[in-house]
Amino acid sequence: MQVAYSFRDSGSAMHRLSPFVVPAWVAAVVLGVLVLEHPIALLALCIATVPVAVGSGVLRPWASTMRYVLWMGLAIVVINAIVSNQGSHVLLQAGFSLPLLGTPRLTVEALAYGAAMAVRLAAIISAFTLLNLCVHPDDLMRVAIRLRLPYRSVLVTSLSTRFIPVLLADAATIMDAQRSRGLEFDRGNVIERARNRGALILPLLSNSLDRATQVAEAMESRAYGSSARRTFYRDAPLLAEDVVALVLLGVAAALAVAAGPLGLCAYAYYPSLDSLPLPADGWLALGALVALLLSPIPLAAARRRRRD
Amino acid sequence: MIEFRDLSFTYWGQERPALKEVCLKIDDGEFVLVAGASGSGKSSFCRCINGLIPHFHGGVLSGSVSVDELDTSRHQPKDLAARVGMLFQDPENQLIAADVERDIAFGLENQGCPVEEIDRRIGDVLELLGMAQFRRSPLASLSGGQKQLAAMASALAVRPRVLVLDEPTSELDPASAESLLSAVAGLRRDLGITVVLVEHRLERVVKYVDRIVVLRDGSVVADGSPARVLGAAELDGTGLGLPPLASLALELRRRGLWQGSVPLDVGEACRALAPVIRGKQVPAHVQAATQPGEPLVAVEDVRFSYDGGPEVLRGLTHAVRAGRVLALMGRNGSGKTTLVKHYNGLLRPGRGRVLVDGVDTAMASVATLARSVGLVFQNPNDHLFADTVDDELLFTLRYLGAGTGESRDLLEQALALFGLERYRAHYPRSLSGGERQRVALASVVVARPRVLVLDEPTRGLEHDRKSALMRFLRDYAAQGNAVVLVTHDVETVAEHADDVLLLDDGRVVGDGPAHRVLAASEVFRPDICRLAMACMDEGGEHILTVDRLLEALA
Repeated sequence: MQVAYSFRDSGSAMHRLSPFVVPAWVAAVVLGVLVLEHPIALLALCIATVPVAVGSGVLRPWASTMRYVLWMGLAIVVINAIVSNQGSHVLLQAGFSLPLLGTPRLTVEALAYGAAMAVRLAAIISAFTLLNLCVHPDDLMRVAIRLRLPYRSVLVTSLSTRFIPVLLADAATIMDAQRSRGLEFDRGNVIERARNRGALILPLLSNSLDRATQVAEAMESRAYGSSARRTFYRDAPLLAEDVVALVLLGVAAALAVAAGPLGLCAYAYYPSLDSLPLPADGWLALGALVALLLSPIPLAAARRRRRD
Repeated sequence: MIEFRDLSFTYWGQERPALKEVCLKIDDGEFVLVAGASGSGKSSFCRCINGLIPHFHGGVLSGSVSVDELDTSRHQPKDLAARVGMLFQDPENQLIAADVERDIAFGLENQGCPVEEIDRRIGDVLELLGMAQFRRSPLASLSGGQKQLAAMASALAVRPRVLVLDEPTSELDPASAESLLSAVAGLRRDLGITVVLVEHRLERVVKYVDRIVVLRDGSVVADGSPARVLGAAELDGTGLGLPPLASLALELRRRGLWQGSVPLDVGEACRALAPVIRGKQVPAHVQAATQPGEPLVAVEDVRFSYDGGPEVLRGLTHAVRAGRVLALMGRNGSGKTTLVKHYNGLLRPGRGRVLVDGVDTAMASVATLARSVGLVFQNPNDHLFADTVDDELLFTLRYLGAGTGESRDLLEQALALFGLERYRAHYPRSLSGGERQRVALASVVVARPRVLVLDEPTRGLEHDRKSALMRFLRDYAAQGNAVVLVTHDVETVAEHADDVLLLDDGRVVGDGPAHRVLAASEVFRPDICRLAMACMDEGGEHILTVDRLLEALA
């Protein structure tokens, strides 16, 4: 199963939203999981991305990426448990000391903190995956230009993204060509393996430079830079539903930022875990935040109904 | 009108000029074919028309080129883009946006065209090329032929008066190539635009063009109507091969059996040559069955799909036999490359099995199988990375476990075989295209695999080099090895392959002697076979080449 990282137009209402909305949603989700500490809040924000994946009709490609996040999350939990010897509830303790790390100890607190970090990472990756799947790269480019970023830099970034699949295909072909000559990339010691990688990297770099030259030629031949007043086809209009969604996501971001100083959804992992249940104001704030993050789904449906 | 006035151009760092004292005029509405061997200056000729030379590719330029009186050395390519549309060889490297309509819009947006006008022009150009249903399609979802049509739509949307196409069909199967070329011919007819086309395979295009310009070492050595250029001796020494129909007509004329103008397509050839061909018999030895060799690769009911997607190979069974040259043919996306990657274990069957020398590929590593099956990829640059040609060849031998003494012997043999001795200390990537291809081939053949597989080995090769390569491959097969060619080159297959395996949508639709499979295929049947089948009472399907037809006429 391949990782799906590029735009998939499922024809959903979410895909028809203004390209400003999904980046704003991603910003609100990321802000929320970075500011809030409580594991229930982190879990809720992470789970709140699932209805967006379902509503966008990209559940399968989204899941193909998230499958790898499970392994990454597990690695975070294990590494944190090994390197952090903080926490008062010791499950296991080694009978020796390591330089810098001290006496290795496995604590409940380190496991819980690692798990919270993994959920945080999962939420961020989930949000960015949905951004890639739901917003056309050319629309993202348009968003960046409307935000007054320089057109040339934005175009170069957009082209780099567009050519990632081509680069990966080139790399796969070169690896096949070298393996067909008997090369085993993972054979030998570290130095030999590094040398083996040269058989991939050198042709890949050289081919990429050739490709870059050809793309530049094609762009020149298609009047790139000929007019000071460039127009933009398919400039997605900002409709009332888009504006409402942006306002609500702005409120969500503000709520997430305010939750820190107000102590809503706060949580301490060390030296001992706080009690798990959220206080009433914490539930209220979290419920409001999740509702605000899910608001683009009905708004997208309403926008489509009105446009149709 | 396009006018070259005594134009010479030398790229920076090069000693030999890419173009030398070129003088010619191309009238409005003309369809001109530019032909010549690799390195003869064809691509440079094209790049002069839209100003990429000298503005993008620097060098020393003398003389001038003008398009509609605009001197291209004084106008940037971006300013000439409204007049000259350009289509390059690889569609992947000229499509800028992610879907069809946005890519078509790119050039118009650059020119500041109003959005309503862009919308209208996208609709018009897609309708013109029969691509309307692909308007919102992601470019990644299109086939090679569709991508090239999309790139042409992008070039045409700015309504250029000149369309320059630099080998646009080199990556396409015959059906896609025919469809692209007939679209170009239609555009010229309906819109009156001037077309300048570079193409190696003359037989594909001569029927469409008004004029052929032949370049050799940067100079124009022939210029005239197709019938005149093909009928004259001016192509000698240019490395170009005549289309088979022209070659046949000239030989009949030389033998005094026929007089007339060189036919450019099968219809013309039928009308002109039928009196000579009708009533002739196919020699008995041509129809004789040949003995199949021992199977070196056996593919048994193989099914395969990438990452749980749709099946690419759907129950495929066939054998690659010793002593034979097998051509693997089919439309783009029919499963050819996927199949050959099963021969050396790069891919493993989802179901069924592949046996190499009796060993199931599921039980052996790619490195082990590489000793028996050598695979040469289409782009030599995918193979080459070492500092010298010697190192490049020794790399293969080292990984295939050859001893030092044996390696030296095999290295010397391979260098001699491919004429690479003088380049042995050169950096492979600094060599010319043809030389790089020889190094890539040598880097696989050096290990003497019993099965040699080549992916599109004749792409971009002119006639003389193609003939030399095919002679080598025939000799290699005659030594008890098997050669597999993955190719769209019908004429080369007709001339040199013993057997053909024809795939369509992951299934075998033809497997057997070349004459039987090619003659039965509407798409892959060679022109000579079409002519023979149309003009001979019986047995025409056994005749694929000019030599065979001449034997029948003798």
